[in-house]
Amino acid sequence: MAKAMLIDPSMCLFCNACSVECKQQNKVPLGKNIFLTQMVIHEEGKFPKVKQRFIKRACNHCTEAACVDVCPTGALYHHKDGYVVLDQSLCNGCGYCSQFCPFQIPQLEIIGTFSGAAKSHKCTFCAERVGQGYETSCAAACPFGAITFGDREKLLAKGKDRVKVLQVRGVKEVQLYGEKELGGLQVLYILEGKASLYGLPAEPNYPYLANIWQNLVRPLSKVALGGTILGVLAAWVVIRRNIKMEDVE
Amino acid sequence: MNEKAQTTGHVFQVRWIPKYTFVERLLHWVHTVSFVPLVATGLVLYLDFLKPLAQGEAGEWMRLVHRLTAILFVGEPVIYGILQPRRLWMHIKEFSFERDDLGWMKNAFGYYVLGRHTDMPPQGRFNTGEKINGVVMILTWALFVGTGLIMWFGKGLVPADIFRLMVMVHDLTMIAAVCMFIVHLYLALAHPLMWAALVSMRFGYTSASYAAEHHAKWYYGPKRAQELYEAKKKAASSKH
Repeated sequence: MAKAMLIDPSMCLFCNACSVECKQQNKVPLGKNIFLTQMVIHEEGKFPKVKQRFIKRACNHCTEAACVDVCPTGALYHHKDGYVVLDQSLCNGCGYCSQFCPFQIPQLEIIGTFSGAAKSHKCTFCAERVGQGYETSCAAACPFGAITFGDREKLLAKGKDRVKVLQVRGVKEVQLYGEKELGGLQVLYILEGKASLYGLPAEPNYPYLANIWQNLVRPLSKVALGGTILGVLAAWVVIRRNIKMEDVE
Repeated sequence: MNEKAQTTGHVFQVRWIPKYTFVERLLHWVHTVSFVPLVATGLVLYLDFLKPLAQGEAGEWMRLVHRLTAILFVGEPVIYGILQPRRLWMHIKEFSFERDDLGWMKNAFGYYVLGRHTDMPPQGRFNTGEKINGVVMILTWALFVGTGLIMWFGKGLVPADIFRLMVMVHDLTMIAAVCMFIVHLYLALAHPLMWAALVSMRFGYTSASYAAEHHAKWYYGPKRAQELYEAKKKAASSKH
């Protein structure tokens, strides 16, 4: 059963309980500007007509996840419940995930620029807690119900209801974000306005270069490498039959 | 040939002539000892059965070794260019293609693969195949260095799309370079006609008769080589 989280910024008061709890529970290194989840403010308008929008910025756990596809170590993988887990003990710090994510979410902690030593950090959907039947720590910490954890199907229905409620209250352009984006996100958002106002891409795209690289370049180049090796072996067999070493000067 | 061998009971007499300078050979072998570990540590990200070597601490070591050898790989031709700019310019001229290279390419398959003794157009110190190898090496070197430096130091500084492109180009360059390397390795180590190549890259000397056959333009000079080639062709056609 796919698990998910529903984020409702209209209920958020920017208390930051989620990010604090996340840092504690997941033992995120402190003082290095690394966040697995982070509260962000997007401001619009000019004083005195200013509107602030709060949003929790973290991994959206895409179903079509480019980070999983480009990760050369298998440190990033899909849990059977749909979310994307990062096993840091397998990560070698290549940083492809941070560069291929359409949301630019994974953070690469660069330990040495010259040596290349690094570690990737990203929300793991509290995989351990969730595996034991608990909810994610950010959802548990949220005192206002702005973050709900549960089965994806139920949360989708709940989100659609909430959209209707907000529409009745007169909020224009309210939308449920994440139902179909990138094969369906495991983090759903109720947005009062365009996605770009919250710093989210309106139509997140799977990076086309990841597609070409993984599905075209890599298989074809394996053929090229194998073909060269076989060709050379065949040529060796032929030449050994045709040339007598006694005649070679 | 081999009259002498028959009369002296299979004792070859080889006249050795100098072919490569010490610095050229040093450049070749430094390039080898940087290129091979670079490929080995790069392939762990590429071949699935090597995946365990890419994971965790082992992967961190691979990335460190890749960077350390990259310094050698980037630095060695640059230092060569600074110390011996004239030799470098000479190589660029040696590696440029000319009309005879077409004739070589036409006959190369029959000669190198089937072992037919067709008359190859006279070649310089580097024959067409070696020229192709040289040009591919120079181009892939530039691509490796360009894309590699951006991936090394430009993470987060260049737009994500540029980084993604660099990763892919680095991959493609690796394929071109490794395919060339496999052919190069085969010709140097296993091909029966090329025995003198490895000797000359190790000791700097090559057999005079090998040079006359494979590098006539260098051995005799372009004019004499052309005359000999024409005469040989005439003789061959009158025989038929």
